[in-house]
Amino acid sequence: LEFRSSDVHNSEEYPTVTAVKFMSEHLKKASGGKHSIKVFNKGALGSEKETVDQVKIGALDMTRVNISPMNSICAKTNIPVLPFLFRSVDHLHNVLDGPIGEEIAKDCEAQGFILLAYYDSGSRSVYSKKPVKSIADTKGMKIRVQQSDLWVGVATAMGANPTPMPAGEVLTALKTGLVDAAENNYPSYGSGFRHFEAAKYYNKTEHSMAPEVLLFSKLIWDKLPKAEQDMVRAAAKASVPFNRQAWAAYEKKELDMVKAAGTEIVEVDKKSFQDAMTPVYDKFAGTPDMKRLVKAVMDTK
Amino acid sequence: MLFYTRFCALLSKLSLMLAVAGLIVLIACVQYQVVGRYVFNDTPTWAEALALLLVLYITALGVAVGVRDAGHIGMDSIVSLLPEKFRLKLEIVIHLLVGLFGALMVQNGWLWTTMKWNDKKPMLSVPSGLDFLPLVIAGVLIVLFSIEHIIALLQGKEVIPAWN
Amino acid sequence: MELTVLGLTFAALLLIGVPVAFAVGLASVATIMVAGLPVAVVFQKMVGGMQVFSFLAIPFFIFAGELMLHGGIADRIVRLANSLVGHVRGGLGMSNVVGCTLFGGVAGSPLADVSAMGSVMIPLMKKEGYDADYAVNVTTHASLVGALMPTSHNIILFTLATAGLASVSVLGMIMACLIPALILTLLNLAAAYGVAVKRGYPTHGKFAGWVEVARSFAVALPGLLIIAIILVGILSGVFTATESAATAVLWALIVTIVVYRSLSWKDFIKSCAKACKTTGVVLLLIGISSAFGYFLALYDVPQRTGELMSSITQTPWMIFLMINLMLFVLGTFLDMAPTLLICTPVFLPIAQQYGMDPTQFGVMILINCALGLNTPPVGTTQFVGCAIAGISVSDVMKSIWPFYGALIAALMLVTYVPAVSLWLPNLIMGK
Ligand code: NA
Ligand code: NA
Repeated sequence: LEFRSSDVHNSEEYPTVTAVKFMSEHLKKASGGKHSIKVFNKGALGSEKETVDQVKIGALDMTRVNISPMNSICAKTNIPVLPFLFRSVDHLHNVLDGPIGEEIAKDCEAQGFILLAYYDSGSRSVYSKKPVKSIADTKGMKIRVQQSDLWVGVATAMGANPTPMPAGEVLTALKTGLVDAAENNYPSYGSGFRHFEAAKYYNKTEHSMAPEVLLFSKLIWDKLPKAEQDMVRAAAKASVPFNRQAWAAYEKKELDMVKAAGTEIVEVDKKSFQDAMTPVYDKFAGTPDMKRLVKAVMDTK
Repeated sequence: MLFYTRFCALLSKLSLMLAVAGLIVLIACVQYQVVGRYVFNDTPTWAEALALLLVLYITALGVAVGVRDAGHIGMDSIVSLLPEKFRLKLEIVIHLLVGLFGALMVQNGWLWTTMKWNDKKPMLSVPSGLDFLPLVIAGVLIVLFSIEHIIALLQGKEVIPAWN
Repeated sequence: MELTVLGLTFAALLLIGVPVAFAVGLASVATIMVAGLPVAVVFQKMVGGMQVFSFLAIPFFIFAGELMLHGGIADRIVRLANSLVGHVRGGLGMSNVVGCTLFGGVAGSPLADVSAMGSVMIPLMKKEGYDADYAVNVTTHASLVGALMPTSHNIILFTLATAGLASVSVLGMIMACLIPALILTLLNLAAAYGVAVKRGYPTHGKFAGWVEVARSFAVALPGLLIIAIILVGILSGVFTATESAATAVLWALIVTIVVYRSLSWKDFIKSCAKACKTTGVVLLLIGISSAFGYFLALYDVPQRTGELMSSITQTPWMIFLMINLMLFVLGTFLDMAPTLLICTPVFLPIAQQYGMDPTQFGVMILINCALGLNTPPVGTTQFVGCAIAGISVSDVMKSIWPFYGALIAALMLVTYVPAVSLWLPNLIMGK
């Protein structure tokens, strides 16, 4: 079988795209050529949300999406999106590779998704036309955010004026001054959407490390024999270290590129932001169960 | 038949009135977003989400009325070159096909509406299923209006647009 | 196999006269059934395709165009155009070109343009002794410029069709269309003048003087300001494209109700109703085309078409010519919106591969589709023009060549001289 897998990133070198291709090679070898995966990137099969629904009804075998679009479907996926939760990339990896990652995957399975892998997406920071050193600088700032309640909540907690807008419009909006800032990781700020052309300061707020996830349709999954399910799982597992390595290299390359183009990287008083996030935690992780998970994340080494 | 035509005419007029109202609210929504951003420095995040939802309903209603008002559809094609008797049959086939698509809209629209009902739409806190309800509405109207057209063709009559 | 089903059912449905949106929809359903996938995906893509924010500009531009169509601005623009060029040979033809271009800027739609200006100018020209075919050709060709104007919803349509293929900004497209629009207008003037001289059409008196020009300009100005509102609004960062379109509607209401007092309540309701119906047609088509696009992607159609084309030739200018020819053939049967939506995902990647800028491609496909609007068997603006003049399409075709010549020259300039479309956006937005 040739499984179809969707991805929205345009670049063929994007670490999630190459990771799934790597997984395909692995699967091909393990299954003696019986199974492989074809990656449809550039959002050819639809937006992240759309492909999630296609996976749910079994129209599509797999999709690689950021975890945010899953937030309204399985509540526990909110955890790794929460602002200023992870201390470092290693902390993030330890959480996702451990029992908490497992628990989130279980939550997704109940909704019809087999969560095969967590991939890296780096950390998101605010970039703007004026440097941001502490929360005082984001006050009243028009920040473009993704069209989601959580992101609007985060920007509101920063004291900013959150302006939801589709990704394609942001570069023009930054150039014309319709918005003062936006937030994303290095690759999107860099060659992905070229926002560095319009916003010179990349302020290391590193407010979220929302990972990417690779999902398999449970409807299709249940028709596979156990041995083949294990094969797919093993191949996905093998692609994770590959992705993490590729991500680190890709991020470094993008950082060098934007620096060469004149971007200034600004160090930020993160504590001032962190202290303001209580309303976000109350709203999106307010239930006892979610509080338990947040605590478990903080207690993870 | 007369009753059915009257019923369809009423439905069509009602649909168009609702669509017009929707269009006006749509403009108000987007204008309010501008006002919010500049006057209050507080962009109303629901405005855009509501606008995107509204436009689906306007489209659904507009499409349905368009199907009813279309008159002799397909007159730009080879249909117009055929002899009268054959043309009538082909026009019935066309309305059947349009009606069939309407029926598919109802079936699949309902499937998505129910499936996404428990999933909340960002920014609005209403069910995501509302995105797909317009398919059901448009589909039902299209089926009704296609039937009206077929009956009219069989009786050698024309469907008169209800409003303008 | 699936692609054969897709192509054949679509062609068959279109041929027997099923409206294009439903033909695309039914062909998509047939294909997905053959592929053994859930039919529900077609309808998911349909709704998903309609939920893009910048796409809200489409109903607004359509609505603004309708208001301007019924709101009495056409007469004022005719007066301005007449005062400017009415005195040269074939004066009414020349003012028709200028008038249609200006109205095109206000309404942003060839169809609204030909309806509004045609119903004023065509009877007038016939009365003054111009041949009906000339009157129709001048009007229908000059009104095509409307598709390139800042108020054009087709510009938005194109930027939507590029989603996931390239990043084309609405502002960039609007800027890129301005110079080609000017060039096309000049070429239209030349064609109108050439035919007028050849047929010995009269001149109408003397130049009325700059005072009269200024006076009629002042009268037409409130309507014309709509172009400036959109351009300045987006350029200064006050509005997004969508917000500027909504503001255009507001302005159109102010101009027609308060300033000109020419929009009756009945006209207003009529404009609203028509806008809703047109919006329905266009948006349904957008939705369904995104289902169609799903199959094109699933079965690598752009890639395969590209490979097929590069097996014939590798020379960029030949590739561009082939793309134009294929667009033209499709455009003879299809209206502007479906051509833009269906062909962009197929041909844009190929054009990009051979070095064409996506924005330049956008201007090219817009002009090419405009050509199709005046080409039988399905030439929407041509139909309207003929209906107003009461002549047949075949009569009109006899004297169409100078006007086609103007369009084709503009199309070639845009295709082969990138600066024609790209210089202005690069100048303003930086590259
Ligand atoms: Na328009
Ligand atoms: Na045509």
